[in-house]
Amino acid sequence: MLEGAEFYFNVDHGYLEGLVRGCKASLLTQQDYINLVQCETLEDVKIHLQTTDYGNFLANQTNPLTVSKIDTEMRKKLCREFEYFRNHSLEPLSTFFTYMTCSYMIDNVILLMNGALQKKSVKEILVKCHPLGRFTEMEAVNIAETPSDLFNAVLVETALAPFFQDCMSENTLDELNIELLRNKLYKSYLEAFYKFCKNHGDVTAEIMCPILEFEADRRAFIITLNSFGTELSKDDRETLYPTCGKLYPEGLRLLAQAEDFEQMRRVADHYGVYKPLFEAVGDGSGGKTLEDVFYEREVQMNVLAFNRQFHYGVFYAYTKLKEQEMRNIVWIAECISQRHRTKINSYIPIV
Amino acid sequence: MGSLFRSETMCLAQLFLQSGTAYECLSALGEKGLVQFRDLNQNVSSFQRKFVGEVKRCEELERILAYLVQEINRADIPLPEGETSPPAPPLKQVLEMQEQLQKLEVELREVTKNKEKLRKNLLELIEYTHMLRVTKTFVKRNVEFEPTYEEFPPLENDSLLDYSCMQRLGAKLGFVSGLINQGKVEAFEKMLWRVCKGYTIVTYAELDEPLEDPETGEVIKWYVFLISFWGEQIGHKVKKICDCYHCHVYPYPNTAEERKEIQEGLNTRIQDLYTVLHKTEDYLRQVLCKAAESVYSHVIQVKKMKAIYHMLNMCSFDVTNKCLIAEVWCPEADLHDLRRALEQGSRESGATIPSFMNTIPTKETPPTLIRTNKFTEGFQNIVDAYGVGSYREVNPALFTIITFPFLFAVMFGDFGHGFVMFLFALLLVLNENHPRLNQSQEIMRMFFNGRYILLLMGLFSVYTGLIYNDCFSKSVNLFGSGWNVSAMYSSSHAPAEHRKMVLWNDTIVRHSRVLQLDPSVPGVFQGPYPLGIDPIWNLATNRLTFLNSFKMKMSVILGIIHMTFGVILGIFNHLHFRKKFNIYLVSVPELLFMLCIFGYLIFMIVYKWLVYSAETSRVAPSILIEFINMFLFPASETNGLYSGQEHVQRLLLVVTALSVPVLFLGKPLFLLWLHNGRSCFGVSRSGYTLIRKDSEEEVSLLGSQDIEEGNNRMEDGCREMTCEEFNFGEILMTQVIHSIEYCLGCISNTASYLRLWALSLAHAQLSDVLWTMLVRVGLRVDTTYGVLLLLPVIALFAVLTIFILLIMEGLSAFLHAIRLHWVEFQNKFYVGAGTKFVPFSFRLLSSKFSDDVA
Repeated sequence: MLEGAEFYFNVDHGYLEGLVRGCKASLLTQQDYINLVQCETLEDVKIHLQTTDYGNFLANQTNPLTVSKIDTEMRKKLCREFEYFRNHSLEPLSTFFTYMTCSYMIDNVILLMNGALQKKSVKEILVKCHPLGRFTEMEAVNIAETPSDLFNAVLVETALAPFFQDCMSENTLDELNIELLRNKLYKSYLEAFYKFCKNHGDVTAEIMCPILEFEADRRAFIITLNSFGTELSKDDRETLYPTCGKLYPEGLRLLAQAEDFEQMRRVADHYGVYKPLFEAVGDGSGGKTLEDVFYEREVQMNVLAFNRQFHYGVFYAYTKLKEQEMRNIVWIAECISQRHRTKINSYIPIV
Repeated sequence: MGSLFRSETMCLAQLFLQSGTAYECLSALGEKGLVQFRDLNQNVSSFQRKFVGEVKRCEELERILAYLVQEINRADIPLPEGETSPPAPPLKQVLEMQEQLQKLEVELREVTKNKEKLRKNLLELIEYTHMLRVTKTFVKRNVEFEPTYEEFPPLENDSLLDYSCMQRLGAKLGFVSGLINQGKVEAFEKMLWRVCKGYTIVTYAELDEPLEDPETGEVIKWYVFLISFWGEQIGHKVKKICDCYHCHVYPYPNTAEERKEIQEGLNTRIQDLYTVLHKTEDYLRQVLCKAAESVYSHVIQVKKMKAIYHMLNMCSFDVTNKCLIAEVWCPEADLHDLRRALEQGSRESGATIPSFMNTIPTKETPPTLIRTNKFTEGFQNIVDAYGVGSYREVNPALFTIITFPFLFAVMFGDFGHGFVMFLFALLLVLNENHPRLNQSQEIMRMFFNGRYILLLMGLFSVYTGLIYNDCFSKSVNLFGSGWNVSAMYSSSHAPAEHRKMVLWNDTIVRHSRVLQLDPSVPGVFQGPYPLGIDPIWNLATNRLTFLNSFKMKMSVILGIIHMTFGVILGIFNHLHFRKKFNIYLVSVPELLFMLCIFGYLIFMIVYKWLVYSAETSRVAPSILIEFINMFLFPASETNGLYSGQEHVQRLLLVVTALSVPVLFLGKPLFLLWLHNGRSCFGVSRSGYTLIRKDSEEEVSLLGSQDIEEGNNRMEDGCREMTCEEFNFGEILMTQVIHSIEYCLGCISNTASYLRLWALSLAHAQLSDVLWTMLVRVGLRVDTTYGVLLLLPVIALFAVLTIFILLIMEGLSAFLHAIRLHWVEFQNKFYVGAGTKFVPFSFRLLSSKFSDDVA
C-alpha cells in the first residue's frame, strides 16, 4: 500500500471520516453524565437523553421503561449508524468493517452455543445477541456437536471461517470447550486483524496496531486471571494467548507460568505500559477493578485516535467509544432502577 | 418616524400568575404572541423543573397521536387540515382527551393486532394451498422416476433384498416441505447438503405469484421446496436448518386422499377468513375515519399545551407557592393588550384573584423588535443577516428599501433586462396568495420571499436603463439625437467661418476611417438629450471612454453621498442615546474629514461639468491632477479650476488635519474628564449633575473636597450601574482603532464604490457581446434562409439572456449591492449587536402533519 494517506484517502473515505467525526462530537459530555447521575427515575433519564443527540429514540416505547429497553434502542441506534457507514464504504474500508463485526459474531456464536447447551430456545437467545454480529447462518449453530462440525456445516461461508484453522477438533462442545473455542477464535481473529492493519500500513497501522496490541494483551491478562483455580493446564493456557501484543513472546511465557494475581502483577511490572494500570487497581474492597482500569485505558487510546486524520482507526474508535457510553448509560440506569446509588459514579468517563 | 426607523421600546414586565389560572393566561398570551419569556430557572436541569410531569403527559399524547396518524396514513384515509387552529385545550378537557385517546389507542392496537393475526393466518393458509398444489407435481415426477430405478440392470440382481431394504427404510422416510424466501434458496441448499452430507433429496420450484412476507410486509418471490430424507437424526437437523432460514414449514400429506381432504378444508377456511378479515378491516376503517376527523385539532392542541408547559417551566414560584412569577419582555405599545390577555385568561378559568402584571425597571438590554409587513420584511432580512440591530438604534432597513434597489440598478442598468425582472416579480406579487408558491421548494422560495425586492430592483433598473439608454445593449432613440452630422460639412456653413473650424468635405469623408464631430461648430450640437445618454453615442468608437468617465464619476458621487448619509444617521443614534459629546467629538470630525477631502472632489467634478463648455474644454484642467496637487503643494503653479483655489484647498487641508486628532483623542479625553468629574460628585450630590455641564469652575472647586467622600460612595454607585468599569486605556484603544479604520476606510470605501462602475460596465459589455455574437449574425443571413435561422438564434438569445444576464449577472450585482450596504454604509453607524425579539406565539408552531410524523 502506498504511503501518504493524505493524498488519496479523501477520495474514497473522506465523506465517512467526516461523518464519523461528527458522530463522535455527539458523544455525551461530562456535564451530561453529571446530569444523568442526578436522575431519580428512568423517565428522568429518558428526558435528559432527549436533550442530547439520542433525541427521542425512546419516544415510541410504551410504559413502563426498563433498562433493557433503553439498551436495545441504543444498540439499534449504533447499529443503524454502523450499517450506514458499512453500506457507504469502499474497499479496503469494507474489509476493515467486516473485521470489526467479527468479534461480535464470535460472541454471538458462543452465546448461542451456550444457550443450546442449556437447552434454551434459539429465539430467547437471539434477543440477547449483539445486532452488529448478526448473520443468517447464526441460528443454525446448535446443529453442530464438535468444532469441526461447526466449521464444516455452518460457518464455512461466513467471515469467521478463516479463524477456525487452529481449533478444529472432535471434542464435544461442553462448557469448557466452548470457552476454549471462543478464546482460540478470538486469538486468530485478533492476529488476522492485526496483520490486516499492519499490511495496510500508513496512519491506519500507526493507530490501529497499538489499539489491537493492547486488546491482545488485555485478553492475555484476563484469560490468565480467569484460569486461576480451573482445570486448564498451563500449556493449554499459553495456546490461548493472542500473539500480536506487546507481551509476546517473553511476557506470555511468564504469564503462562503465573499462579496468582501477585505473579501476574510482577509480569506486568516489566512493561512500562501495564505497570501503572496494575498499580491503579484497588485491592478487594473499593477501588477500581482490573477490568475498569483496562476500559479506561481503552477509552483513552480510542479518544487519542481522533487526533490523527486519514485512517480507519476512527471508525473502530468511535464504535468502541459508543459501546463504552452505552455501558455507562446502562450502568447508571441499572443503579437508578435498583436504587443502588452508592456505586453510580463508577462509570468510565469519556474525555 | 415610523416604527421601521427604530426598534420598539420594550419593557420588562413581571407577571404574577395565580397557579390556578397560569395555564389559561399563557394560552391567551400564546394566541396573541405578545411577549418573550425569560428563563428564570436556567440552572435547573430539564427533568427537575416544575411541570415536567405535564410535559411528559403531552409527550405521551404526542406519541399516541403519531401512532394514530401513522395508522391513518397507512389506511390511505385523507387527513383533513382545519383552517382555524383550535385554542389550547382547557385543563378539564385534557384529562378527557387523554382518556379518549388512550382508549382509542388501545382499541386500535387490538383491532390492528387482530387484523394482523388474521392476515397472517390467511397468508399461511394460502401458502399452504400453494405448497400442496406445487408439491403434487413433485410427487408425480417421483413416481415417474421409480420405474427407471427398477430397470437399472445392477440393481435387478438383488431386487428382492433391495425392496425389503426400501421398505425398512421407507418406514423412516420423512418429508419436510414448505416455502422459502427466494434470496435464501441457494445458501439453504448448500447448508442442507453440508450438514446432511447428501442424505437428502431437495426438490423446489418457484411459486408463480409473489406473496407477502408476514414479517416485513414486503411482497416477494417464494420457492416451494420438498425435502425427503431418511432417519430421525437428519430430520432434526433439517428442521433446525429450516428454522434458521425462516422457512415456512407445513405438514406434508402422505396420501393423495389426505392431500385432497386438507385442500378442501383449507379452501373453506380461507373463505371464512376472507369474510372475517373483510369485516375487521371495515371496522378498522370506520374507527380510523372517526379518529381522522379530530386528529388535526388534537395535534395542534397538544402542541400548544406542550409549548405552554415549556413556558411555565421558565417561571419561578413565589414563596407561598400560590402564584407563579414570570418575567417577560413586552413591547410598550402592547402592554395594554397584555393586560387584557391576562384578564381574559383569568376570567376564563374563573379565578377569584385575577393575574396581574407590573413593569419593572431594568438595566439589561431588551431584545429588538421591528415590526415588518410583507413589503418591508425582505429588506429587514437583508439587514438582519448582517446583524440584528441593537436596541433602539437607527434601523438601516428603512433606507435600504430605496438605496438597495437603486445601487443594484446602477450595476444592472438595462431597461430591457430590468423590465423582464419587473414582470417576473410582478407575477409573483400578484399571485402571492397562490398556495403552490407558498409551499414551493428552496430556490423558488428564495425568489418568492424576495419578491418585493425584485420588484423594486426591476423598476429601478428600468430607470437606470433609461439613463444609460441601454435596452438589451442597444440604445433607443426616443426624442431624436441632439447631434447633427450634416452641420459638419463645409457646404452648410458660410465660407467666412471655414478658417476657424475643422470641417468635412467629400474627400475627408471618403478617406478617413474615423470622423470626429466637433460640438463647437455651430449647429452640430443642438442641446442635450432630454433623458439619459444621447443615442448617437451608440455609433461612436469612443463610446466606452465617454461612458467610463461618466460612470466612474457617478459612482464616486453616489458612494460619497451614501457614506455621508451613513455618518449623519450616526448623529441620530448619538442624539437618541443622549451621548451629545459623540456628535461633537466623533460625528462632526468624521463628517469634516470626509467632506473636506471627498466632498471637495465632488464639488470639483460638478464645477467642471458646469463651467467648462465645448469651446473651453481644451483648457480644462484634469481633476485627478488637481486633486493630487491639493496634497502635494507643487512648486509650479497650474492654472486651477477657479481663482483662489489654492487658499480654499489649504483651508480644507487644515480642517482635515485638525479633525484627525480630535477624532483620535477627543472622546477618550472627554470621558476621562467626565469620569473624574463624576467620581467627585458621587451619589450624594447628584443634584450637581445638572450644574456640572454649565460650570466647569465649580467642578474643579468641589472636586477636591469630594474625593474623600467619593471612595465610600463608590460602592453604592457601582451596584446601580452594573456595567462599565471605567478603563481609560481600553476606551482609548477602541477609539484609536475606530478612527484609524474610519480614516483608511474613507479612502478604501470610496474606491470600493467604483464597483458600481465596474459591474455596470461588465453588464453592458456582456449584453453587447451576446447581441453581436448571436442576433447580429442571425440578422445578417440573407432573407430566404434568414427566417429559419433567426428562430433558433432568438431562442438561444432569450435563454442566454435569462440565465447569464438576468440570473447570473443579477446575482452578482445583488451580492455587490449587499456588500456596499453591509460594509460601506452600515459600518458608519450600525452596531448590530442586538438579539431578536422572539415572542411566545402559537403561530410559530408548525401546523403541518409532515413534521410530527417524522
